[in-house]
Amino acid sequence: MAHSETILVRAPQIAAETSSRRRFWSGNNPWFWLTPAIIFMLAYSVIPLIYNIYLSLNEFNTRKKTFEFVGGENWTNLLGFQVNTTNGLQIVFNDPRFANAVGITIQYVVFALLIQLTLGLIIALLLDARPFGAGIMQALIILPMVTAPTVASMLFRLLTHPQFGFISNALYTFGLLTRDEPLIGGTGRYALIGVMLIEIWQWTPFFVLIILAGLKGLPPELMEAAEVDGATWWQRLTHIKIPLLRGVLTIAILFRLVDLYKIVDYVFILTAGGPGGHTETLSYYGYTFFTKANWGMAATIGLFLMIVAWVTAFAYIKIFKVRW
Amino acid sequence: MASANRGIPNWKAVQAAQHRRQLVNRIILTVVSSLILLIFLYPVYFWVTASLRPTREIFSLPPPLALYEPTGSYWSVVIGGRSYNEVIREVAGANAGTGGGGTSGYYVIPFLQTSMIVGGISTAIVILIATPTAYALSRFQPRGKQNLVFFILSTRFTPAVTAVLPLFLLYKDLNWIDTYHGLILAHTVINLPIAILLMKSFFDDIPQDLDEAAMVDGCTRFGAFRRIVIRYVAPGMAAAAVLCLIFSWNEFLFTLYLTRSEIRTIPVAMSTFDSSSGGTEWGFLAAAGSAAMIPVFIFILFVQRHLVRGLTMGAVRG
Repeated sequence: MAHSETILVRAPQIAAETSSRRRFWSGNNPWFWLTPAIIFMLAYSVIPLIYNIYLSLNEFNTRKKTFEFVGGENWTNLLGFQVNTTNGLQIVFNDPRFANAVGITIQYVVFALLIQLTLGLIIALLLDARPFGAGIMQALIILPMVTAPTVASMLFRLLTHPQFGFISNALYTFGLLTRDEPLIGGTGRYALIGVMLIEIWQWTPFFVLIILAGLKGLPPELMEAAEVDGATWWQRLTHIKIPLLRGVLTIAILFRLVDLYKIVDYVFILTAGGPGGHTETLSYYGYTFFTKANWGMAATIGLFLMIVAWVTAFAYIKIFKVRW
Repeated sequence: MASANRGIPNWKAVQAAQHRRQLVNRIILTVVSSLILLIFLYPVYFWVTASLRPTREIFSLPPPLALYEPTGSYWSVVIGGRSYNEVIREVAGANAGTGGGGTSGYYVIPFLQTSMIVGGISTAIVILIATPTAYALSRFQPRGKQNLVFFILSTRFTPAVTAVLPLFLLYKDLNWIDTYHGLILAHTVINLPIAILLMKSFFDDIPQDLDEAAMVDGCTRFGAFRRIVIRYVAPGMAAAAVLCLIFSWNEFLFTLYLTRSEIRTIPVAMSTFDSSSGGTEWGFLAAAGSAAMIPVFIFILFVQRHLVRGLTMGAVRG
């Protein structure tokens, strides 16, 4: 009796002592499952990140093929601080091309996102109202999204060709543009719109699909109740549907936002940053340093872009309480 | 009320009128949505048909909808391996010889093979690593779990231009540029965060009771995972795999930096096809581009249902 009592009392302790090694392999320890991925991701994201920081503090001497420590010089080439009496501490751009790239990127992100979101919402609402063949339409609208960005850019290069392009010629016919100032080429005033066309073509379907998924999840009784109570279509949309879609829209916008910062493929194929830097996004500007073997500056711009993307994404996640 | 006052129960007529109105509305709706859809699909149609037209027809404006003189010449070079010089005369007629460089480079089968190898192997590694990780994130609450999720997300949010530069320099030192293992590992790391969080959402859909029942019956947790849970998550694994394959197939910047000439996936090869200054040969480009698009269009059929979930890393259940 006394003996068995001892065993019972000691049971948890005995269990704990039973070879912690064996318990690891039984899979009750979360790290048993997580270790492979963590090792892999540390190797492939932390090491490059540290190396990137190192690169951004160095300059590559192309003649001697060595790195020379330059401290914050790469950073001050881009950005500087200025104290002035009216505004206090102010961040100034020391590199006009960098300033231009920031401006282009902001324009691109804001306009592309707004247009995609609006178009996506409209198309999703149309498809959700059950036209004939809604299922097939939903399946087909995926196609632009899964086309390789390179192929899509190539295809739009032909469509926006200043001479033979169908889109360009349609714009000439409607008098929206002239042959002296085409969409792609000329002084480049409209080139960013050309790049955005691909973006919108490819990624509006993303919003369509996500919003449709959200609309499917809405309780139909709610719509019926609103209809019985005499809510108009517009009221139902703005007072019921959109507020209930908030969660879904939040996530869709998060993903597009982060990806829009990184835009480079389209620019690479369609305009190569030109004409006159009118389509030079931050990503592409970083890439131009890469081609010149100026690793230090390329790393600095890359880090800048990464910091912007991370801060945006995680602030967004905190503000809108996105959960995984 | 009016009908009741007159004493004639014409509610049937009222109903019929309403049905008719609804039908008309639905037809208008169908027409409008189809038109919008056609705008989105037209570029694809245009591109695929351009690969079947003789050169002068590609440039005719407005582009004809029908194929008047379909030609398989571009395709015979692009996937059939016929000689470029022989074919250019067929499609361009008198204009032959205007083409720039890349005259032998339009044969895409080797690039498609590379894409397949890189995509296939990297996807297999991704699934192998992501499945246990996703399981743990779904079943356990280790300390700092949210931080781990943020860490995984942060790799997804890192711009490609940032990540690829140090990789390129490290690869150069390791002599990994232009090697299969280097490119495969890079593609693995691109897809890993997506696959982990996507599969976590699939594991979340499977009730915990299932693991617990198996463990009560004497399985270890690992045994329960291996024998039971994995069978329920298999469709999710397949969906994640196909999505990773598609992302790897379309990936551009990493492959551009990390390869030179030996190993080129199809998007990167495409970007080199028109690097010549001597006029872009759109027919060949269209055929090569279509050859790159078609496999993805077929893959997507299998995962259409999970696409939303995949693109949002499991945050939105489609």
